[in-house]
Amino acid sequence: MDKRLRNALRGLTSPDAESRRRAMEPFVRATFNMFIRHLYRYLGNEVECEDVLEDVYADIWEDPSHLRDIANERHLLRTVYLYYMRKRLREVYRRMNRNLSLSQADLENLVAPELGLCEMTSQAELKQLLHRMLGKLKSRERKAIEMWMQGMSNRAIANQLKTTVGAVKMLEFRTILKLRGMLKDYVEED
Amino acid sequence: MANVNREIQELLADYAVALRDGCLPGFLKSLTRDEAKSIKGSEDFWEATEVVRLMNSAGFGEKVVAPDVGLFISRVDAGIASRQKKAKASMRSRRRNRNHANL
Repeated sequence: MDKRLRNALRGLTSPDAESRRRAMEPFVRATFNMFIRHLYRYLGNEVECEDVLEDVYADIWEDPSHLRDIANERHLLRTVYLYYMRKRLREVYRRMNRNLSLSQADLENLVAPELGLCEMTSQAELKQLLHRMLGKLKSRERKAIEMWMQGMSNRAIANQLKTTVGAVKMLEFRTILKLRGMLKDYVEED
Repeated sequence: MANVNREIQELLADYAVALRDGCLPGFLKSLTRDEAKSIKGSEDFWEATEVVRLMNSAGFGEKVVAPDVGLFISRVDAGIASRQKKAKASMRSRRRNRNHANL
């Protein structure tokens, strides 16, 4: 683990609230990118990610007990997700839930899920893995996913593939399930 | 998202687009009771959402950069200061109540 992060963690777990407050700045500097990118996975919106992260850091300051024996960055991210981020993610759309058809439990599963396959894999690793898996797909499937990842709308993808929007959605769904199967195999092999 | 009774593959595609474009609340609000029910019962949907999140992260996660971490740190610090203040105030009022009770 980075020396800066290790020192910040040591300061953060101090029993004195003032020392913890002072240790927060180097801790935020060392972890901000890692945490916000992870949150982006669930919210897809930078403003909401920043709001959630602000509360996460304050929660860490208030009760840093879960961060005592952190071995490495992956362990840190996992612990922060499980003990601090999930709680806050569950609250993001809670107020909205009164007017939603989705049950509270389903909403929580959608926004703050349990740790799934590769949930803690870093972005760089994920990119490589996805690239490898895309190479194993049929050309049409790969094109649909690649275009989606370039930010194209389903209508634009349908125009490119000379098909209907409905067919594109079905193709994406099947391909995503296929990718999930590949991921599962990868995790089992690993 | 005008379609009222979307099939599970359409729901997944709409969820994926909403997550990618940062408008998840719009997707959540668009769900009808029947669609919510079919989401609940579909294992495929839940499995697919896992991959969608990973795709979103791999494709767009890197674009998330704070323009000014210093500004963010001051927001965090202000939040901590306000919590400290609240904790002190509640401790003071608890002490006052205890003193009243002792009298």
